[in-house]
Amino acid sequence: MKLPLSWLKSHVALTDDVATIATHLVRLGHEVEGVEEPRSAVKGVRVGHIIEKKPHPDADKLSLLKVEIGDKQPLTIVCGASNMGEGDKVPVATIGTTLPNGLVIKQGKIRGETSFGMCCSEVELGLADESAGLLILPGDAPVGAEVGELLGLEEAVFDLSITPNRGDCMSVRGLARDLAADSGLELADISIDPVPADSSIALPHISIAAVDGCPLYLGRRIEGVKVSDSPAWIQARLIAAGQRPVNGVVDVLNMIMLDLGQPMHAFDTDSLNGAVSIRITSGGESFEALDGRKLTLPEGDLVVADESAVIALAGIMGSEPSGVTGTTVNIMLESAFFKPAKVSETRRHHGMVSEASMRFERGVDPAMVAVAMEQATTLILETFGGRAGAVSVSGSAGGINAKEPLTFDFSRIEKRLGIEVPESTDAVLSRMGFGVSRSQGKMRVSIPGHRHDVSIPEDISEEYARVIGFDAVPECLPPLATTKPAAVDHSIDYAVADGFVQAISYAFISEAEQRMFSPDDGNDILLENPISEAMAVMRRSGWPGLLGIARHNMNRQQPGVMLVEQGRSYEKNGDGHRENNIMAWLMCGEIQSDQWHTTVRSADFFDMKGAVESWLASNGLTARFMANDDVQGLQAGQSADLFIGKSVVGRIGKVDAAIADHYDIDASVFVAEINLDVLPEGKKAKFQPLPEFPGVERDLVFLFDRTDRVEAILQAVRKAGGNLLTDARVFDRYVGQGVPDGKVSLGVRFTLQDAKRTLTQKDSDGVSAAIVAAMEKIFNAPLRG
Amino acid sequence: MSQIAVMEQQLDAIKEEAKKAFKNASDLSQLDQERVKYLGKKGALTEVLKGVGKLSPEDRPAIGKIVNKVKDDLDRTFKISQAVMKDKLGLLRIEAERVDVTMPGRVTSRGYKHPVQNGLDELTAIFTQMGFDIAQGPEIEDEFHNFDALNIPPEHPARAMHDTFFLKEFTDRPMVLRTHTSPVQIRAMQRFLKEGNEPPLAVVAPGRVYRCDYDMTHSPMFHQVEVFKVDRDVSLANLKGVLKHFLSAYFGKELPIRLRPSYFPFTEPSAEVDIGCVLCDGKGCRVCKQTGWIEVLGSGMIHPNVLKSVGIDSDTYSGFAFGLGVERMVMLKQGIPDLRLFFENDVRFLGRMGS
Ligand SMILES: [Zn+2]
Repeated sequence: MKLPLSWLKSHVALTDDVATIATHLVRLGHEVEGVEEPRSAVKGVRVGHIIEKKPHPDADKLSLLKVEIGDKQPLTIVCGASNMGEGDKVPVATIGTTLPNGLVIKQGKIRGETSFGMCCSEVELGLADESAGLLILPGDAPVGAEVGELLGLEEAVFDLSITPNRGDCMSVRGLARDLAADSGLELADISIDPVPADSSIALPHISIAAVDGCPLYLGRRIEGVKVSDSPAWIQARLIAAGQRPVNGVVDVLNMIMLDLGQPMHAFDTDSLNGAVSIRITSGGESFEALDGRKLTLPEGDLVVADESAVIALAGIMGSEPSGVTGTTVNIMLESAFFKPAKVSETRRHHGMVSEASMRFERGVDPAMVAVAMEQATTLILETFGGRAGAVSVSGSAGGINAKEPLTFDFSRIEKRLGIEVPESTDAVLSRMGFGVSRSQGKMRVSIPGHRHDVSIPEDISEEYARVIGFDAVPECLPPLATTKPAAVDHSIDYAVADGFVQAISYAFISEAEQRMFSPDDGNDILLENPISEAMAVMRRSGWPGLLGIARHNMNRQQPGVMLVEQGRSYEKNGDGHRENNIMAWLMCGEIQSDQWHTTVRSADFFDMKGAVESWLASNGLTARFMANDDVQGLQAGQSADLFIGKSVVGRIGKVDAAIADHYDIDASVFVAEINLDVLPEGKKAKFQPLPEFPGVERDLVFLFDRTDRVEAILQAVRKAGGNLLTDARVFDRYVGQGVPDGKVSLGVRFTLQDAKRTLTQKDSDGVSAAIVAAMEKIFNAPLRG
Repeated sequence: MSQIAVMEQQLDAIKEEAKKAFKNASDLSQLDQERVKYLGKKGALTEVLKGVGKLSPEDRPAIGKIVNKVKDDLDRTFKISQAVMKDKLGLLRIEAERVDVTMPGRVTSRGYKHPVQNGLDELTAIFTQMGFDIAQGPEIEDEFHNFDALNIPPEHPARAMHDTFFLKEFTDRPMVLRTHTSPVQIRAMQRFLKEGNEPPLAVVAPGRVYRCDYDMTHSPMFHQVEVFKVDRDVSLANLKGVLKHFLSAYFGKELPIRLRPSYFPFTEPSAEVDIGCVLCDGKGCRVCKQTGWIEVLGSGMIHPNVLKSVGIDSDTYSGFAFGLGVERMVMLKQGIPDLRLFFENDVRFLGRMGS
């Protein structure tokens, strides 16, 4: 919210400088996002009168303007906007002006036509973040005058971020109240004499059917108004506060909303049919909103309606047909209290936000409903003429937001804040509207109607905290509380130690990516409101994310990548759903580069398998790898399930070439995934004495069938090796010259060891013979050369 | 010529011959052969000594002396020759083994932890050292834990400001992707009470959170760490103490902190926390928009309604809570200018910024 200092000063005679006021605002809880000084920034921008408008001879979208700025000759200006016409007054940045965005205006040629300045919108003047064309100035603006002076951009404008609990501070008056209370200055008197009613004007027929949504509704007819542009001072205020003037009546109501925090609305009475009621919709009615949207209203909306149509979503937006335009003559003003919850509910039905709804949703000051009505009537009559009838009052302000006073031990406040609170601060709360009394450590606080956010003693503690300032609270460490040792998850450290780079990818992927590795079995969890189709479904595997990251890196000249991710996968599970903690790996391309001591090597299945085995070993686990040709997305013959005991804990394999291709990866891609939630507890290393006697290592080379599985071979070796055998592994594998087709030469190395003695030649010969016999018998595999 | 004189002459000749042989030996094994030839059990010197028997008894001691002297002399000469030869061979070997120390070393490729993971680990470690226990919670949350229990009822304006991702209906209640780690507060307290415990309870909850917002400075998924403590008479001063300690520990230097009153539905009072700008030490720079302060997190005293929602008596107990954005902390600490780098996962970035 933009708060012009001059406007603020009309409510409280602040004497501090801008920086000091900003500090007070921050301490009181009103974040200052910036302080703008528009006038100095727009020096050199003057009021220009467009006396001629012609199309640019060489460009459809440009106009050629002749603009009078009070000098001898009118200026020729090339302009890209379209909302201005001959006779309009617009801001002209003259040559040499530096605009707030840093642009320096120079004489320049645009498509062959020389331009001697620039016509500006609110954006270029730094008054708004967007605009729909040039800022059209009031018709009575003096030609050649400095626009900064004209718009009253005399002093600083605070850009505030008002927290959603402080509806009362979404107005100049509310902020002035906080600052006045804090500084001890008087808040200006805004009471106003009621406008005498013209008895010839009928009282509007208004009834409240939805008391739960609207406890108070004021309506008044004004007839015979002549709607014109609002006066320059009102326009200047609106522009300084970041709003665009619309038409006289609407401008007056908007200014009052910004000033007092009470949103108002005006209906064109000639468009209304019969009595007005405030009611809840029963569903099915249509509504054409002022912003052009055509809605069908559901059941439960809080609306204002006449006898034939809904004329406003209460406190949010009026209807297009009942709105006030330049030709409107008779109006009905609305000033009401709509309840926050009901406005919020209705607003959410339609995904609508308006300046009015923001205030009603946060809670307006019930005491302002009548004040705003009188101020608006007075201003409208003064400016646009007309005659006002009496105010029709439905409901009453009395019961709105009325709360029992709070009583509590004052020590509660001091204990929660950790600081002593001097009694002198009570006066500040009193000036904010609270009724405060202290006696014998007991506190009694009554809450003013405009403070919708205060209802418990802790709320009062916050009031004290912001008056005293959080800086005054000391820093004091509490005693330690823990009883448990911290359980640290090392999953990612183990993978990183094996050379993998940790990636973090989004938990949502596209449905197409999901289908690569997961079946279309109805177990996807879909987002209702995804950012895009590429982020529409919760992933069931970490692989699509890693593939995308592999592509990104391979496209940037990485010869190969080794990636790991720890995260979650998500899927439906019967009536519920499941989040699995997973580890996912990916290797592709060169994992060893060409170097002086070694040659280049690309990843294969066994690199991936080794990484997984190593990671499992770090966790004290080993798994069995069981070939599975039917893992979706993995190539048959190079894919497997990981078993620990009887349960599958993960999958590993080579990604289907078509999928790698889809990711533009021109290399074999290997992946693995483990579900951490189903991993059993790993073996904890137990102390074992180191062997005292040396072990013996022997190598034997056999000729096996290609179909013989190494797992089975080693199992047989271990069995034949007996008690002395402590380790057996394949140290060599050879296919090629000298090995018949269908055969493979495998070298088996085994280690023998005895804890009590040094082994002899006889021991190792015996074991070798047993193994040779077993290979012969089980696999029909002869010893090779 | 006397017998002695003859033998003396013989010994002299052997000595000269042997010295020459030792000197001329081409390698250690030849040198050793020469040693055997002259000084060995069957060597030349021994042969001479055999002739001692022919001498008269009175001459024997004299010749013995001479023989021993020659032997000592030759032993010494041999040892010197041997040492010289060893040195010479050693130098040759060393020369042959010379390497170019500027050649690149053999390295095994190493991996890196993601910078966000580092941030999470560092932050979590600071809090566990301060006595907070680690807790986790689901990312797919119900609206009770993500909003209602945190004092954000459906009609609350703050609820609309959360940019919530909703999930297409698949259970009996509407589910969302959690928009903050604060629901872990609720879950941890519920679990703690269910196990029959009574406060104090101090928890740090790191995790992933989701907001439907995607641009230069927003990622739809990011990481938060939620920290809270409930005990008798926990105060705002305690909150400030913990904030000051942990922020200084994380950034590795004593930092000024500033609390500004703010609003969060789940805390009362609430405060935004600023730290003195870590880039300019508070002097003012582009990152802190010349203010010298940087906003790092939201905090406050746990709202009595939140304690009430899990059944903790807010007259007896109070607590503080705060939540911080991990990416933001890592960006500030490591000078990373763009949030999107974290999720692009370029290995060059990860290698440089990770560890
Ligand atoms: Zn700075």
